[in-house]
Amino acid sequence: MSLQSKGLEDEARGGRGRARSSCPRTGDRFGQRPSRKPDPKAKAAPGRCRAWPGGKERTVGSSRPGSPQRKQLERRRGHEELRGRERSSAGRIRDSRRKRDGRASLKEQSSSAEKKGLPRKEEAWEQLRKPRSLSLASSGSGGESLSEEELAQILEQVEEKKKLIATMRNKPWPMAKKLTELREAQEFVEKYEGALGKGKGKRLYAYRMLMAKKWVKFKRDFDNFKMQCIPWEMKIKDIESHFGSSVASYFIFLRWMYGVNLVLFGLIFGLVIIPEVLMGVPYGSIPRKTVPRAEQEKAMDFSVLWDFEGYIKYSALFYGYYNNQRTIGWLRYRLPMAYFMVGVSVFGYSLMIVIRSMASNSQGSTSEGESDNFTFSFKMFTSWDYLIGNSETADNKYASITTSFKESIVDEQESNKEENVHLTRFLRVLANFLIICCLCGSGYLIYFVVKRSQEFSKMQNVSWYERNEVEIVMSLLGMFCPPLFETIAALENYHPRIGLKWQLGRIFALFLGNLYTFLLALMDDVHLKLSKEETIKNITHWTLFNYYNSSGWNESVPRPPLHPADVPRGSCWETAVGIEFMRLTVSDMLVTYITILVGDFLRACFVRFMNHCWCWDLEAGFPSYAEFDISGNVLGLIFNQGMIWMGSFYAPGLVGINVLRLLTSMYFQCWAVMSSNVPHERVFKASRSNNFYMGLLLLVLFLSLLPVAYTIMSLPPSFDCGPFSGKNRMYDVLHETIENDFPTFLGKIFAFLANPGLIIPAILLMFLAIYYLNSVSKSLSRANAQLRKKIQALREVEKSHKSLKSKAMARDSGDTLESGSKNATQLQLNKEGATPHSASQSQSLDKKAQDPGTASSAASRTVPPASRSLPGSRPTGVRKDSGQARSQAHPWRSGSGKSAQRPHH
Amino acid sequence: MGSQASTLLRHEELEEIKKETGFSHSQIARLYKRFTSLDINGIGALSREDFLRIPELAINPLGDRIISAFFSEGEDEVNFRVFIRILAHFRPISDKENSKDAKGPEPLNSRSNKLRFAFQLYDLDKDDKISRSELIQVLRMMVGVNISEEQLGVMADRTIQEADEDGDGAISFTEFVKVFEKTGVEQKMSIQFLD
Repeated sequence: MSLQSKGLEDEARGGRGRARSSCPRTGDRFGQRPSRKPDPKAKAAPGRCRAWPGGKERTVGSSRPGSPQRKQLERRRGHEELRGRERSSAGRIRDSRRKRDGRASLKEQSSSAEKKGLPRKEEAWEQLRKPRSLSLASSGSGGESLSEEELAQILEQVEEKKKLIATMRNKPWPMAKKLTELREAQEFVEKYEGALGKGKGKRLYAYRMLMAKKWVKFKRDFDNFKMQCIPWEMKIKDIESHFGSSVASYFIFLRWMYGVNLVLFGLIFGLVIIPEVLMGVPYGSIPRKTVPRAEQEKAMDFSVLWDFEGYIKYSALFYGYYNNQRTIGWLRYRLPMAYFMVGVSVFGYSLMIVIRSMASNSQGSTSEGESDNFTFSFKMFTSWDYLIGNSETADNKYASITTSFKESIVDEQESNKEENVHLTRFLRVLANFLIICCLCGSGYLIYFVVKRSQEFSKMQNVSWYERNEVEIVMSLLGMFCPPLFETIAALENYHPRIGLKWQLGRIFALFLGNLYTFLLALMDDVHLKLSKEETIKNITHWTLFNYYNSSGWNESVPRPPLHPADVPRGSCWETAVGIEFMRLTVSDMLVTYITILVGDFLRACFVRFMNHCWCWDLEAGFPSYAEFDISGNVLGLIFNQGMIWMGSFYAPGLVGINVLRLLTSMYFQCWAVMSSNVPHERVFKASRSNNFYMGLLLLVLFLSLLPVAYTIMSLPPSFDCGPFSGKNRMYDVLHETIENDFPTFLGKIFAFLANPGLIIPAILLMFLAIYYLNSVSKSLSRANAQLRKKIQALREVEKSHKSLKSKAMARDSGDTLESGSKNATQLQLNKEGATPHSASQSQSLDKKAQDPGTASSAASRTVPPASRSLPGSRPTGVRKDSGQARSQAHPWRSGSGKSAQRPHH
Repeated sequence: MGSQASTLLRHEELEEIKKETGFSHSQIARLYKRFTSLDINGIGALSREDFLRIPELAINPLGDRIISAFFSEGEDEVNFRVFIRILAHFRPISDKENSKDAKGPEPLNSRSNKLRFAFQLYDLDKDDKISRSELIQVLRMMVGVNISEEQLGVMADRTIQEADEDGDGAISFTEFVKVFEKTGVEQKMSIQFLD
């Protein structure tokens, strides 16, 4: 009895809960099902029908007494199960429940069959159920539950019909019956589905669908927007399609560099220049922020400003302007500390970003090795983008396909080239010899010029040329040496991609020589200034002392302080270094632009317009149009960046100038390359990762780190200018901050960390880790290469084997049909011998014995192409026996054949 | 819109199309609308000129081949049934269809049918083989006169050399399938048809 009452409670709860919750949910489900395909819930619904097939038919058809209760029972089970699925509880529970349902329905079936035979049992059933039905009636939801019951009934029927529609094809019925059944079922579904879907659930569902669609659209738009936000993407794509990926790689590199410089610019401007301008002591208040009296007259002249003297020299763009006050403004911003930390973090950030992009590049290159087998096939079959609808884009695509074909043809020719080894070897040695001569010559020239300039700097009133001789000579060398190297490199006859690397390496050596001679000269200058500094310091002190103490006549009124412009001051070598870098950057930029303007644009104009009235063909003949000089431009960019890194510590404004330079150079060079250059004779594909550029950049970064680190660590800062004046070394600012602003125990910890006893083991540990990781990655890549080789070899073996076999087959049967059938048999073989072991050979040898049989049967299957479009002419026998082989080999045709059998109209 | 399509298309025909192509009712209605908008003459069939008015096809170097794919041999117009059957190749493959009815006829949008469609673009003479001359013709369509005949020949040779497994100097459909074994043809040759 206790059990019974429990059951009653269950029933009541189930009934009420259902009345409230399950109805709209099922309606909702019905609305979803036809349109949303990958919905797991929708899939679950037919599954539910399948789970208890017996029970359903009975619910539809039976009219015997007591059936409502049974229906109720079953429905409750169904709902229970439904809820269980929705909760997506553990699969085991679900399975067990389904099993239980199955058993229950079986029992019911058997019980109905034995109804007459065993009345007593039936009575017992009735007795058991009576109280339940009573309780249900008494629960008071009679009318509601009835309509709900109907709904559920319809729901089940609709489900069933849907299932029928889905499996109609597999039923062994005649066509006419299938069609009538189908029509009926579909009508039913359409009629009642609509009825069920009405109401709140439907509206909610429609709303949700609307939102989902909107969301998809928004995502697409957002992706488009993101693509549009990548700056210059269209420009670069344009260039890539006309000039090939190698030229585009330069512009991509330029864009990347621009991004890096923007970050550096933000760092320096946000943390150093803007605080100084906003909160620092204003211009003219102290000597280091004032133009000296002697220079004041000319300080605004353009010629002076152009050399970054005058007012520009005493501005926040340069190191010397900053004051050594520990904190500035009401924020108590520690400017000297910030200056030092920004200088360090410029290098830190650059190192990090270069190394990170190198790592990500090399990761990308390893994952792509897969498709090497079919490069040409992919180019041939997949190069067109079928969604292009804009004619301009289509033109670009044409150009890019042509270019990529040319690139691969160059690669192809290169790999097939047969050559005289001794001659090339000789030529290469000769070329290297010549280039080393050039490098030595240019090195000596720079040395000579630098020496001369040191003499000039001692003399007064030197001319403009003599003052700028070093820059001019360096620019000229940078302009003429690369073409010379290129001419010499033509002797070597390398693949253009490798040739580019050599060229890059050589010009790199040239530029490096230039840079380091420049640096050495600069260093000499700095040392000279440092040696003079002590005397100037004494003079300054003496002047100030005299000024304040020589006031014999009026003791009562303190004299006004000396005007800052009149205070004698040191030469401030930091600002001088900053100015040198600034000048070099600007002159470099101008030389680049003028070269482009004259060497490319004017030349192109000349060739284009004078061609009509000239003795020979200018376009094809001597001057012709210029090609884009990748190596020179890349290295120019890299070395320019080296200058920026070196100079930014002494001239915080340098990065701002560089950002402008990169921006203008992007637009200018894009225009120049599209307007006045022609694609390279041999367009070649850039290596997939431009790690070579990055490697050079890293090297330059390291090389430019050295002099800066040297000056910071071992030269004393000027005594009267810059944020570190008055300190013994620049890094003392760190000690000062740690001592004054941090608690003492932190200072102790720092001191402990700086202990060489700790640092040396740490460095050793790092070396060990690097060594270990390096060896691991080496072994992995070796394994990778071996596996790839294995796959390649396997493919070769398979290929040769198949070609042999097919030749043998072709000999056996001279029939043309036979050769057509090969495909089918091969496919079978593929399927069966799919495991690519060495055993596959013996397997396929076994298959060979069966070959003639399969071949002949396959031959009967292949239908001549003409009869393909005439479905009626095909004998049914052929279609029937076609079986698996044909549906695999010619699936489209079998599909179309079947569909074509139906009447068209 | 739906009502228009259902008035123009007979009911059973609609059902057959649905079954054959797997498009939903609204998709068929939409495609039918598209079909009628392309069919400027209003004859219930599309000619080659009608197709050439689609910009994507007009500028496509292989557009001619694609259009030919719609026309069966000897015919010079395409009715809606053929039209939608061709389009059904590009219906995305859903997970549901992958799992169910393996024994039924292969749906038009299966992987191999998609590949078969692509294969036929290159197989100009319909002999179930892409020969060297066919490749060169297609290449010529794609690059115009910018590359010399000899270089195109090199490309075609290399392509065949890569893909050819039985050494008959042409690419058969099985070899074609093999080339695209590891690529996501199912995704790439699919268009999201609007509901």
